[in-house]
Amino acid sequence: MTDIIHNLTLGFGVALKPLYLLYCLLGCLLGTLVGVLPGIGALATIAMLLPVTFNLPPEAALIMLAGIYYGAQYGGSTTSILVNIPGEVASVVTCIEGYQMARQGRAGPALGIAALGSFFAGSVATFIIVLFGPPLTEVALRFGQAEYFSLMLLGLVGAVVLAHGSLLKAFAMVFLGLLFGLVGTDIYTGITRYNFGMRELFDGIGFVPPAIGLFGFAEIIANMELKETVNVFTTKVQKLMPTREDFQASWKAILRGTAVGSFLGILPGGGALLSSFVAYTVEKKLAVDPSRFGKGAIEGVAGPEAANNAGAQTSFIPMLTLGIPGNAVMALMVGAMMIQGITPGPRVMIERPELFWGLIASMWVGNLMLVVLNLPMIGIWTRLLTIPYRFLFPAILLFCCIGTYSVNNSTFDVLMAVGFGLLGYLFRKLDCEPAPLILGFILGPMMEENLRRTMLLSRGDPTVFLTRPISLGILLVAVFLLLLTVLPVIRRTRGVVFKE
Amino acid sequence: MKKCFLSIASLALYCAVVTLSASGALALNYPNKPIRIIVPFSPGGPNDIRARLVAEKLTESWKQQVIVDNRPGADGAIGMELAAKAAPDGYTIVLSPSGSLIVTPSLYTKLRYDPVRDFAPITQLTNSAIIMMVNPALPVRSVKELIALAKAKPGQLNYATPSSPFYLVGEMFKVRAGVDIAYIPYKGSAPSMTALISGEVAVMFDTPLMSLPHVKAGRARAIAICSPKRSAAMADVPTMTEGGLPGFEAGVFSVVLAPAKTPPEIVQKLNVEIVRILHMPAVQHRLTSIGDDIVGSKPAELSAHIKAELEKYAKVIKAAGIPRIE
Repeated sequence: MTDIIHNLTLGFGVALKPLYLLYCLLGCLLGTLVGVLPGIGALATIAMLLPVTFNLPPEAALIMLAGIYYGAQYGGSTTSILVNIPGEVASVVTCIEGYQMARQGRAGPALGIAALGSFFAGSVATFIIVLFGPPLTEVALRFGQAEYFSLMLLGLVGAVVLAHGSLLKAFAMVFLGLLFGLVGTDIYTGITRYNFGMRELFDGIGFVPPAIGLFGFAEIIANMELKETVNVFTTKVQKLMPTREDFQASWKAILRGTAVGSFLGILPGGGALLSSFVAYTVEKKLAVDPSRFGKGAIEGVAGPEAANNAGAQTSFIPMLTLGIPGNAVMALMVGAMMIQGITPGPRVMIERPELFWGLIASMWVGNLMLVVLNLPMIGIWTRLLTIPYRFLFPAILLFCCIGTYSVNNSTFDVLMAVGFGLLGYLFRKLDCEPAPLILGFILGPMMEENLRRTMLLSRGDPTVFLTRPISLGILLVAVFLLLLTVLPVIRRTRGVVFKE
Repeated sequence: MKKCFLSIASLALYCAVVTLSASGALALNYPNKPIRIIVPFSPGGPNDIRARLVAEKLTESWKQQVIVDNRPGADGAIGMELAAKAAPDGYTIVLSPSGSLIVTPSLYTKLRYDPVRDFAPITQLTNSAIIMMVNPALPVRSVKELIALAKAKPGQLNYATPSSPFYLVGEMFKVRAGVDIAYIPYKGSAPSMTALISGEVAVMFDTPLMSLPHVKAGRARAIAICSPKRSAAMADVPTMTEGGLPGFEAGVFSVVLAPAKTPPEIVQKLNVEIVRILHMPAVQHRLTSIGDDIVGSKPAELSAHIKAELEKYAKVIKAAGIPRIE
C-alpha cells in the first residue's frame, strides 16, 4: 500500500508540474476539438503530431498525446448528442439516446451526465490501472482467437438488442451491415471482394463514410422534410445541468458502465469498441421500463459514456505493462515512446518510474481538466442549437465533408458518405435503424478474421469454441441473451395467433 | 530593314532560350516550386516519419517547401500508382517501403504499377534486418533445434507474421530448411506478438524494432537474424548463416523513387542531397532510434538491388507454390 502511495506521489509530482500541466491542457483542448469535428479523429491527430513530439521531453509528449486521446472521447460524445454524428465507433450508441434528448431540449443534461459519468469512470479506471494493471494483462493474454470470436458474436447479438423496433428489421440491418463489412480484401488469400475493380475499396469501406452518411447526412435529409415552422430542436431549452432525478436515474448505470468498460478495455484489439455497446445492452435489459429507450433515456447515455471512457483508459494497460498496443492509437503511443528511445514494456515501470506514474497521474488530471472544460461549454453548445436550422445544417454538412475527406485525402470517401446518406434516408422511411447495421459492419470483418484464424490454428476443428472454457462461457451468455430477446416476441405472436 | 532583321533575330533567340529551358536546362532551375513526397501509408508510421525527416531537411537546404502527401490504401498500391503516373518533372517523388515495391507486385498479377518500368530509383534510405523468434516455452534455442522439432512434428507448428513481406521470408525459410510450418497471418506486429507471447503460435518473424522490448523481457526468444552480420543491438543472436542456412538474407527497406521518365540530372541532384541528409548526425540519431540501418545508395545500386530482390522472391513464390492473386 505504501508503495502505491509513494508511486502516486511521484506521479502527481510530475503531472502537476506547470509545464506538463500545460501540455496536458493542450492535449485535452486539441482532443476535444478533434473529437467534436466529425471525421478526423484522435488517431489522425496523434499521428500528425507525432513528429512534433521528437523535440519534447518524453513525459510531455506522452501526456499530451494521451490528453488528445481521451479528449477526443469527450468531444465525440458532444457531436453524437448535438447532431447525431458519431465521432467514432464508441459514440454510435450515445447518438441513439443522446440525440433524442437534445431534440427534447435536454441537450444540457445529456452533455452533463456524459461528462460527469466519463469523469467518474476515468477516475475509477485510473485507479484500476494503478492497482491491478499487471495481473489484468495476464487475463487479457488468455483471450485467444476463439474467445475473440465468441466475444464478437456476443456483440452481434447485442446489436439486435440495440434496436427498439421490429426484431426482424434489426436482424436484417445487422446482416446488411455484415455484408457491407465483406467489401475489401480477404486477409488470408489477398483476393478482393465486392470492390468492383475500384482501388479505393481495396481496404474496405471504412468507418467514417457510413457513420457520417447513415447518422449525419440522413438526419439532415430527413429534417429537410419537416415543415418550415417546426424546429428541429425545441427552443424551449430546459435546465442546462442534469437534475437530481437525472442523477438518480443514472448513477447505477454509471457504475455498471464503468465495470463493463474497465474490463473490456483491457482486451487488446476490439475490447474498448464493444464497451459502449455492451453497456447499452445491459442498461436496456435491466431497465424497469425498456420502452423509454430510443426516446431519450438518460441511462442510455450515462452507461455507455462511462463504459467508453473506462475502456479508453484501461486500454493503456497492455501497452504500459507489456508494451503491446491494444489498438491503433496505443500503437502510435508506443511509436512515440520508441522515438524517445524508451522501449515500452515491464521495464519502464522500473527504469523510468517518473514517466510511468507521471503518465498515469496525468490521466486523472486530464479527466478533471476535461470536465472543467466541458461543463461550462454546455451553455455554449445548447446556445448553438438555437440557431435556425437552415443556417446550422449547411455548417454541419461542410464540417462532415471536410472531416470525411481528411481521413484519407480522398474525395471518393465523401461520395460514399453521400451515398450512405441517401441509403440512411431510405432506411428511415422504412423504419429501419442504422445502429445495428453499423455494429454488424464493424464486428463482421473482425468475426471473420478471428473465426478463420481459429480454424487455421485448430486445423479445421470447430469444437474448439466449445472446449475452451472462456469461449464457451461467452457463447452461453450470447445464446441466453438471444433467447431473452427472441422468446417474448415468439410468445406474443403465438398469443396473437391463438386469439384469432 | 535592319530593324526587321533585329526583331526576327531577337524573336528567334527568345524561342531558342524558351525551348532550351523547357528541356535539359530544367535541372539548372530545379527546384523552383514545392516538391511533394508521396507516402503510401497513413501518418505516424515509420515511413511517414522517415519522409517527414527528409522533407524537413530538404526544405531547409533547398529553401523550397517539401511536403509529405499521405495516400494510404491497398497496402501502398494507391500511393505507388499515383506516383507512377505523376508528371516526371522531379516535383513528385515517393518514399516507399520494400513491401509495396517488391512484395505486393510479386504477389499480385494485375497491379497498375510496375516496380522496374514505372520508377526511376533515387536512393535506398534504410534497411532493417528481420529476426526469427520462438515462444520461450518451446525447447528450442537455435535454428537447428527448430528445424529438428518441425521435422519431428510436420504440419503441427504455426508461425505468425505481421504482414506479407514477412510471410515471404517465412516461406523462404520453409523451402530452404525443408520443413512444414503452418502460416497464420495477423494484421500488424502487435497482434502477432501477442500470439507468440501467449503461445498461440510457435514462431514469428518481425523487425528488431518491434520485437526488441519483448525479447529483452524474456517473452520471446530470438533465435536468428537474417543479415550477413550480427546486429549490435542484438549481439547474442546468431545469423542464419551461423544457424545452418548460409546466405539466407532478408530485410525490409525503404526507398525514394521518382516517376520513370524524370530527367537523370534531377534524379542525381535528389540523390546527392538526400544522401547528404542521411549522413547528418541528427537524422542518423532519429533513424537509428526507429531501428533503421542507414544505407544511402546510388541510383544504379538501388536499381540492381530491386531487381535482385524481385528475383529472390519470385523464386520463393515458385518453390513454395504460393498462388499469385489477380
